[in-house]
Amino acid sequence: MTYKRSDLKKIIMDTKTLPTLPVVINKLNSLSDDEKSSVQEMSRIVSSDQVLSARILRLANSPSYGFHRVSTISNAMILLGVNVVKSLALSSSIFAIMEKESVGLWEHSLGVGVAANLIARKLGLPECEEIATAGLLHDIGKIIISLKCSEAEKDIFELVRERHIYALEAEKEIIDTDHTEVGGWLSKSWFLPDKLSEPIAFHHDVAKSHNHRIKTAVVHVADVLIKASGFGNSGDSFVPPIQKIAWDTLKLNEQLLVELVDEIEDKLVEVKNFSLEMMSD
Amino acid sequence: MQKIPLMLAKAGMKLSRDVFRGNSPIGIPICGKGTELTDALIARLENMDIHTIHVEGHPVWVDGERSFDDYLSELDGRFSKTLHEPLNVMLYDIYKAHLIKSMGGGSDLQAE
Repeated sequence: MTYKRSDLKKIIMDTKTLPTLPVVINKLNSLSDDEKSSVQEMSRIVSSDQVLSARILRLANSPSYGFHRVSTISNAMILLGVNVVKSLALSSSIFAIMEKESVGLWEHSLGVGVAANLIARKLGLPECEEIATAGLLHDIGKIIISLKCSEAEKDIFELVRERHIYALEAEKEIIDTDHTEVGGWLSKSWFLPDKLSEPIAFHHDVAKSHNHRIKTAVVHVADVLIKASGFGNSGDSFVPPIQKIAWDTLKLNEQLLVELVDEIEDKLVEVKNFSLEMMSD
Repeated sequence: MQKIPLMLAKAGMKLSRDVFRGNSPIGIPICGKGTELTDALIARLENMDIHTIHVEGHPVWVDGERSFDDYLSELDGRFSKTLHEPLNVMLYDIYKAHLIKSMGGGSDLQAE
């Protein structure tokens, strides 16, 4: 069974049936673009969402930040920074969609988010939190394919198993598009910024990323590393090649890669515990 | 590194992660990573209600657990499409070395 690309695009772009982002994120986005808005205004909006508030306070009080007893949202926002809070809001709402869909893909995405963060920090890149969010969201297209065309998804899995090919190839054959393009459409309809939408759309073809190639390269490498590690389940059984252009863009070398693998594997132990904890909630 | 129940801890094993009171990273740190376990220390951890610890290498084998060979053949499978790419060969070697190290490195595993 094949699906027409244009039909699919229509289904996906049909905003009425698309999982929508919580109002809170859109409000936060518009407020943070407006120079006149204050942290107080933003924290009022965040406070209206209790789950998000709890997560922000939990993060602000976590040992990795080293602050003690942060009890108000506005203090947490000042300490963490508005961008961190926005990333958190975005990723926690997308998790809500993803969590129920597929544990394996959820773990894979979590792993790539963590790996992207570690790579960005190691290389001393700016906007590590955003890069981590991009890593977390990079396979959002797969979620949408699974939500919108679950029949096609089954066919894709079968083809991957039968012919030992990459999911990307199977997607092209069955639905005449792939999860990166679908992710790109979705980022447009959600008005995500380029620094998120480019890694989502081009993490399998870094050369196509023009404005945020470094971020895209980080997400690409993180994706390859997590697949190499065998952590979670992305739907792919094979490690894709590391793209030369990504390697060169990030100026990686063997020594860095050895250190990164060590750090990532160490962190993944925690990620696995976290994932088990979330699943048992 | 391996996460093991404290019941299976033996003197001589080395901690690969800090141990915190209440098993939570916001608890008070009790024991730093790199510490070598002794019977007295294990008893103290028991009294403090610690249930699991992370230790270096892979000292405990449980029935049904996948072996080093299983992990290695999975790794080979994952890389089977890209072992003609120089960068992926490098990555494969790094992961293999990491696997050897994390499964107890050196001793009988490498002997073959």
